[in-house]
Amino acid sequence: MKRTTFYLVICSIFLTIFASEGLSQAPLLREQLVYRWNAFNGKGYGGGFLPQSENTIYFMANRSNDISARKTLVYFWPITGKYMAGWKTINEEIEGTLEILKEGKIIKSLKKEDNVISYPGGYWGEEAIFYEGKEALAEHQKYKDALQAYYNALKEFYDAKMQYRKDLDQFFKEVKKRREAGEEGALDIEIPKEPKPPEGIQFYVTEPKKDYIVNLPLGRYQIRLRAKDNTIVEGSEKNIVTFTSRRTGGIGYQIVPGNKWTKQEPCNDPAKIIYGAGKNTLYFQPFIQDEYNELFYNKLQDPQNFARKEAWTWVHIKPIKDALLVFLKGNKVLSQVSYLPYLVKQIPGPELGYEVTDYDEEEAQGRKPTFEGHKLELLPQLTTAGYKVQLREKGKNIPMSASERKIRLVRKENSWLLYLISIFPLVIGAIIFIRRRKKIT
Amino acid sequence: MSQKKLSISMNTMGTLTKRELASSLRGWGIYIAAFVSFLVSSWMLNNHLNTLKENTIIITSYPLETPLSWSVIIVSLYLVFISAISISREREQGTLEVLWYGPVSSFSYLLGKYFKDIILYLMVLVFFGVYFWVVSTITNLGFTIDLAKAFLVSIFVVSCFVSFGLFISSLATRVRSSVIWLVGILLAFLALWFANSILNLLPEESLSSSLIYLRGTLSLIFTLINWISPFSYLSRGMGSIPVGNNLIYTLNIVYSIIYSVILLSLSMFILKRKGVKA
Repeated sequence: MKRTTFYLVICSIFLTIFASEGLSQAPLLREQLVYRWNAFNGKGYGGGFLPQSENTIYFMANRSNDISARKTLVYFWPITGKYMAGWKTINEEIEGTLEILKEGKIIKSLKKEDNVISYPGGYWGEEAIFYEGKEALAEHQKYKDALQAYYNALKEFYDAKMQYRKDLDQFFKEVKKRREAGEEGALDIEIPKEPKPPEGIQFYVTEPKKDYIVNLPLGRYQIRLRAKDNTIVEGSEKNIVTFTSRRTGGIGYQIVPGNKWTKQEPCNDPAKIIYGAGKNTLYFQPFIQDEYNELFYNKLQDPQNFARKEAWTWVHIKPIKDALLVFLKGNKVLSQVSYLPYLVKQIPGPELGYEVTDYDEEEAQGRKPTFEGHKLELLPQLTTAGYKVQLREKGKNIPMSASERKIRLVRKENSWLLYLISIFPLVIGAIIFIRRRKKIT
Repeated sequence: MSQKKLSISMNTMGTLTKRELASSLRGWGIYIAAFVSFLVSSWMLNNHLNTLKENTIIITSYPLETPLSWSVIIVSLYLVFISAISISREREQGTLEVLWYGPVSSFSYLLGKYFKDIILYLMVLVFFGVYFWVVSTITNLGFTIDLAKAFLVSIFVVSCFVSFGLFISSLATRVRSSVIWLVGILLAFLALWFANSILNLLPEESLSSSLIYLRGTLSLIFTLINWISPFSYLSRGMGSIPVGNNLIYTLNIVYSIIYSVILLSLSMFILKRKGVKA
């Protein structure tokens, strides 16, 4: 037994040495056929790729996704423990027909089609719409026209700006001349008006590209690429799993702590409790959310991700901006907070911090709000339990379904007592021991 | 087994359980194990609370998960240790042989020991209840339904540990060999987990063919260990609560019961085959 343990320990040491050698080697580049896509993820579109080490692509059911087969260099990146694609070195498109099979029978043979993704609120906006075929080209043309119109307006603006500068020079010369001529009081010269820059384009449309458009109902499928010579391209046979949400229309929150606005915390499950300590300024961002299987959703984002098949995850779909956040103790309303924009300002000087201020369009000087949310102040003098927040539609007194979350304030001041109560099993043991001794004597 | 025999076995089992339980309660071991587990939990909680500063939040439905898990691990280690030496000690001292002259069978003897340890844990669970309730009152960290679910699942997890300990003890003839077997097996589980994790970190192309073979073998062994090691039942059982899936939670309880029944049956079989003499 001792010998076995000894050998196991030795083996572990050797494995660690081998492993560290493997980790320190330069990554090995391999040319591979991979699938690359833009897939709908519940709220927008995200890119992904499938290296040869994985066999299954996960898509949402009944949503259009673009996919293409490509040849690229794949290498293992030990830091993330994932395979990466060297798109910049090789990114060769593989031609052919994409066949989709269900239970061994071909149900679709796809040719490449034009497609674009349109972002009505701009690239960083909350909405993304997929267009395919002629609609895609029309949508892109619309964007190009808008872009052209913007450039034209911009050119006109620069011309007007140059004219404005000339007029301004002329204006000052005229003022100087008349003052020198002895004229006093108000001068009847028209002040040139500064031209306003044209408003930028609010929406964005990606460049049209040709891919296979995959839109499948719920189920399990196989895909493969048939080359022009009617053979199946080697390494192109993969599986597709399509899935849908288990529950929809829930309400979740993204909570932004006042002093760590980049470290946001999700609070999606109504059973979760928000624990805070001392003074807290929290910004609640409510969202409509759908619930997906954790494994399927994580694999949709990256097929190399790990997840639990038995777990479920909430995905924020759309922000709720027109509701009130109500802060209550029991059933007594303590405050009602609106959804407002906020600006994060760097604090000048050696402190190197920042502060979150209310957003004022005039003061912001063209800067957009950093984030929006319902600001809730939790003061240290509040008692510890019985608080909750809920979302209510404006003018209505009923909480929105599943929007309630409990808030508890942690007590830290008596935490040393925890050590004291650890002793109580020993006290019970001592009582039993003494009683038994008394009984014996 | 006839009804009369069964009744005798049950009576014997009851007597053995009472006798062993009284002996354990009069000793200091279980109180010290509970004390150590609470001390570790208190240290963890205290550190955790001290990191909570202004404008810091924690969002959880089960804030006492880690302290409870560590408490269960410590008490389980104590119980697996005492069950691992219980049979071999009586075999070594000759008590087992004396008992076998009476109406004691391997069935009543093993179940007596098993239920003694389970009842002992149920008593510790009362301590846990009191401790975590007081913790919740002092710190305001919620005594939630998930904590109650963790209490329940921990009984079945501990049942796995006790059965595992009794199985080891039935194999050994001396206390020393029981301890060596137990520590050796637990260390082997740990070493395999470690080796498997390291090899899985590496891409296949950077491994030599012998290491690829080793990885495949280790992975297979590790899958097997996932059903043999009581620690896997602990990790699965406690881990099923935050997932919030009742089916998985119930399945973990069922798996733990099956594991305990199999190991207890094997222990009875081994005890019969090996006999009562050291």
